[in-house]
Amino acid sequence: MTVRTDQTDPGRAIGLDVSSVSKMFGSFVALKDVDLKVPAASFHAMLGENGAGKTTLVRCITGYYHPDHGKIAVDGHAVTIASPRDAHRFGIGMVHQSFTLVPSLTGAENLVIARTDRPLVFHWDSELKRMNEFLERMPFRAPLDVPVWTLSAGEKQKLQILRQLYLNQRFLILDEPTSVLTPDEAEELLGRLRDMTRAGELTICLITHKLREVRAFADEVTVLRRGEVVGVGRTADLTNADIAKLMVGDTPPPSRWTSRKPAQPAGHPAFEIRGLAADRDDGMAAFRDIQLAIQPGEIVGIAGVSGNGQSALLEALCGQRAVVSGEVWAHGERVPPTRAAFAKHRMFSLPEEPLKNAAVGRMTVAENLALRTFDRAPLAKGGWLSSAAMRRQAIGLIGRYRIKTPSPSAQIDTLSGGNIQRTVLARELSGNVGILIIANPCAGLDFTSTDAIHAEIMDQRNRGVAVLLVSEDLDEILELADRVVVMSGGRITYAASIADTDRATIGHYMAGEKTAEAAI
Amino acid sequence: MVAPTKVGKWSLGVRTWLHYRAETFIIPAVALLASAAYFSVFLICLGKSPGEFFFLIARGGFGTLFSWQNTLVRAAPLILTALCVAIPARMGLVVIGGEGALVIAGFSAGAIAIPLDQSVAPMFITLAMGLTAVVVGACWIGLVGWMRHARGVNETISSLLLTYIAIAIVNFFIEGVLRNPADPNRPSTKAINPDAMVGAIPGLHVHWGLAAGVVLAVLLYLLMDRTTFGFAARIAGGNPRVAEAQGLSVGRLIVTGCFIGGACAGLAGFFEVAAVHGRANAALHANYGFTGILVSFLARHSPLAIIPVACLFGGIGAAGGLIQRRMELPDATVLLLQGVVFVTLLASETLYGRLPFFRATQDSHT
Amino acid sequence: MSDLWSALTLVLIALLGGIVRVSTPFLFVSLGECLTEKTGRINLGLEGTLVLGAMTGYAASYLTGSPWLGIGAAALTGMVFGAFHAILCQLPRVNDIAVGIALIQLGTGAAFFFGKPFIQPTAPHMPSIALGWWSSNPDLQNALLINPLFPMGIALAIFLRWAFRNTYWGLIVRTTGDSEPAARDLGVSVNGVRLAATSIGGLLAGIGGAFLSLSYPGSWNEGLSSGQGLMAVALVIFARWDPVHCFYAAVLFGAAGAIGPALQSVGVTQGYYFFNAAPYILTLLLMVASGRSKRAARDMPRELAITR
Repeated sequence: MTVRTDQTDPGRAIGLDVSSVSKMFGSFVALKDVDLKVPAASFHAMLGENGAGKTTLVRCITGYYHPDHGKIAVDGHAVTIASPRDAHRFGIGMVHQSFTLVPSLTGAENLVIARTDRPLVFHWDSELKRMNEFLERMPFRAPLDVPVWTLSAGEKQKLQILRQLYLNQRFLILDEPTSVLTPDEAEELLGRLRDMTRAGELTICLITHKLREVRAFADEVTVLRRGEVVGVGRTADLTNADIAKLMVGDTPPPSRWTSRKPAQPAGHPAFEIRGLAADRDDGMAAFRDIQLAIQPGEIVGIAGVSGNGQSALLEALCGQRAVVSGEVWAHGERVPPTRAAFAKHRMFSLPEEPLKNAAVGRMTVAENLALRTFDRAPLAKGGWLSSAAMRRQAIGLIGRYRIKTPSPSAQIDTLSGGNIQRTVLARELSGNVGILIIANPCAGLDFTSTDAIHAEIMDQRNRGVAVLLVSEDLDEILELADRVVVMSGGRITYAASIADTDRATIGHYMAGEKTAEAAI
Repeated sequence: MVAPTKVGKWSLGVRTWLHYRAETFIIPAVALLASAAYFSVFLICLGKSPGEFFFLIARGGFGTLFSWQNTLVRAAPLILTALCVAIPARMGLVVIGGEGALVIAGFSAGAIAIPLDQSVAPMFITLAMGLTAVVVGACWIGLVGWMRHARGVNETISSLLLTYIAIAIVNFFIEGVLRNPADPNRPSTKAINPDAMVGAIPGLHVHWGLAAGVVLAVLLYLLMDRTTFGFAARIAGGNPRVAEAQGLSVGRLIVTGCFIGGACAGLAGFFEVAAVHGRANAALHANYGFTGILVSFLARHSPLAIIPVACLFGGIGAAGGLIQRRMELPDATVLLLQGVVFVTLLASETLYGRLPFFRATQDSHT
Repeated sequence: MSDLWSALTLVLIALLGGIVRVSTPFLFVSLGECLTEKTGRINLGLEGTLVLGAMTGYAASYLTGSPWLGIGAAALTGMVFGAFHAILCQLPRVNDIAVGIALIQLGTGAAFFFGKPFIQPTAPHMPSIALGWWSSNPDLQNALLINPLFPMGIALAIFLRWAFRNTYWGLIVRTTGDSEPAARDLGVSVNGVRLAATSIGGLLAGIGGAFLSLSYPGSWNEGLSSGQGLMAVALVIFARWDPVHCFYAAVLFGAAGAIGPALQSVGVTQGYYFFNAAPYILTLLLMVASGRSKRAARDMPRELAITR
């Protein structure tokens, strides 16, 4: 197998043939007899739920894992991929879901450090000349001379892809590349990549869970479930229903909530954000002029790709970020970010990444369950804690919410992600809730857990809770929300009730202004 | 898997408690033994006998009533300076400025006694000294907490810098304006009225500072582990973001914790001046603050555990002179031993949650 | 009036020489810490490395008769100590700030323990470069006796800044400190890079320490260093992790530390302790001023967690 050097002529797409690959971790079977055949210059999609084995398979292909059995062939030649460096040499590149660019380096510097021939010293004149020549031949561009942290998510994604192409990686695995892009950007990017495959320059293996993308761009599909291939075929021959069924299997989806109670007539809003504005840590504006009102028994969804101020807004609402101007009101009065105010207005929150944002890793499950109630009766009397009462409360909640833990005294960071999420849910939703603030509740969870959480949220809504749902998953918002609002560039650019709008329109507003940083 | 519906309150509680806490006892003990082993190897390389070394520590620190008194006199300030590290540590801060707080608080106590000497009854002099020391110490470390909260200044660096500043300030006054002319050899403040000095606990030839330390340790244990304030503080120490989301005021908790810690170190300074030396001079800077850091870490920042660990290090310190004379080792030997213990202890942190023995016990409850 | 002028000139001359003298250890230690922090790790133990380097350098110079072998021995000791820090911090769940504190105690303890026999004897010190040969004023000549480490330090600062922008390893260092996932994606061993950087950092701190004991007039005692290693860590933050700014900051600290002795040379002895405290107070003020600075947040290597 000849070693490919960087930046040779336009390059030729390469094909990959994975046969009967198996991988076990101890007694856990991650992959069993998996075949993946991707002919050169094709656009292949790999689908599967979380935990289906996509990541493991991809790690075997890119050299992070070694398969226990099976063969891999690149362009017809059998190869052994012992390390990520080998994979690079054979022309296999991967673009990860989370950015692996170095924020403080410029685009050019990011390109240069990835080169396989590593000169000790760089001569920037010749390097930049070569890069510009390379960019000429590419269907899209990204700025090379500014530090990467100033770029928008879309530009970063393009830069990552450009880096792989610069290194002449002609088999590209893309892991959920459009999750941080607006629908328009996603359309453009995938479209251009498909053009490159049609021109014979590139082979793409797209990992996604978005059936629309598969339908629109992929030639063929491989579906994984529980470590095995359950379906392979041309996208033209499969319907969406076929694919969905392959992904989740024959078990019927758990019963959805049957009724969505009709929305209440508009009265006094339960929760209002009045002209809120805050800054980021580095001093630039995070968001400005956020004006929002939520009725009791209503779900308002904030749509938008990440990086447009949503996280900062959530932090400001929960008291984790200082506010530059504006106020938060609930039930007709102003709400300062204090414990007493949260308790009075029954404000609860489910932030994203629960272990990082909603739980104290080193404390026990029982203690984490008591974060809202530890300073009130029956857990506290006159400033003294009652550990017996705390334990009783914990045992009750563990049973009700089916939290899988060896004991209430187990440290919470020893639990699985799903169980940590359940613990946070138990703590926040078990009381008398008035206002609920939720962010990306189902990130990284499988279909069943996602359904269960959606059911919980709808249940709260039907009971009259005012829900603010911030989500990067437009489908989630379309399913749950009564009204939708789009945040782009740190401002609200669109608001409508779900009945009066559609995905395309919302997507159009999500595209909005290009860079979050430059906008304000 | 469904959680247990029937819980035998007593047995499950105590057994779980034991299994989860066993790790926190056993691993530091292992670290202590390991460092003793490393140090023994070191001594052998020097041609000295480890057996004799540890025997002398046992003798000089814990062998006779006299050595126990010596040990306890050293343990008293160690308990307090260790608390100065432990309380902020439970809140997520690594504060190592106990030495500086001790020195400047002790000096303030000695200084305030001077104008009061003739005019006020001795008991009130003592009271004034104690109050001054506590307030000065509290503010000194409170400043560290404030700088961390308001300006994001790393508290480890700032507390150590404040220690050097405290020593410089105290030296300035002791060698200058407040220097006692009656003592030409050693710069020091005027000796305080002997009637105003703190006496010894009856029966024990150890000053009341020991009792104060023990009582404070118990009180602070109760505060941190059994009150809502302590719970809130531990949340802030474990994950400040979550603390904020729960509406707790992390800044107030941090600064309060630093005030409490500083007050403890200040109290140590008070006793050093009012019970041991009778005046403020360079002897205040006796490394109690720095040894206190190690005591707190070895006790895993638990106020109750600090008491026995402080006695251990008090004993090692008490035996220092004996070791120096009998084994012809330099006085820095104890310092070196402490360094070895500290490093080994920190390295042993990596064993938590990884030893199969403890993991098995944790999973065995279904 | 001419008395005042001559006194003033004397102070300035003394200050000049003092700046070079006092800033040299700051320069070396801060450059070492700059390199370490650029890879995303903070080494607070440099204070201990400094003292240990001072003792080792002095002892080696005494035992071998060559101050340059002394510097070499100090560099080697510093490197080993830095490597030790890196290896400890590599272990999961080990807190690198606590390790730094422990190493200060270990380094100081070891230095005092082994250094006892070297307190009295005099060891050969480093030769100085006489930059004042053109002057007839003996005080000026004295003040302009510069030790060779100072220009070496300047050259090192310039080299490091160039290397961070133009060499492969320089970019890799910046990558490791800014984004661990990116470094791993490139196939770079994050722990390996940090080990190398912390070791070199320790090496430079050891040299800085050796300067304290081996520069004219040269001596070893237990009060040699008091916090220079610590201040160097603060200095790096103030310098925004740029090596050339570290040099400027080192000169600033050198000036702060040299004012006291410079004034003493003309007989101004009051406030001796205040001037002693000046560098610490300066450090504290700088830290407070730059603590919430937005630019600092942008320039900081993102993997460095100074305020957690």
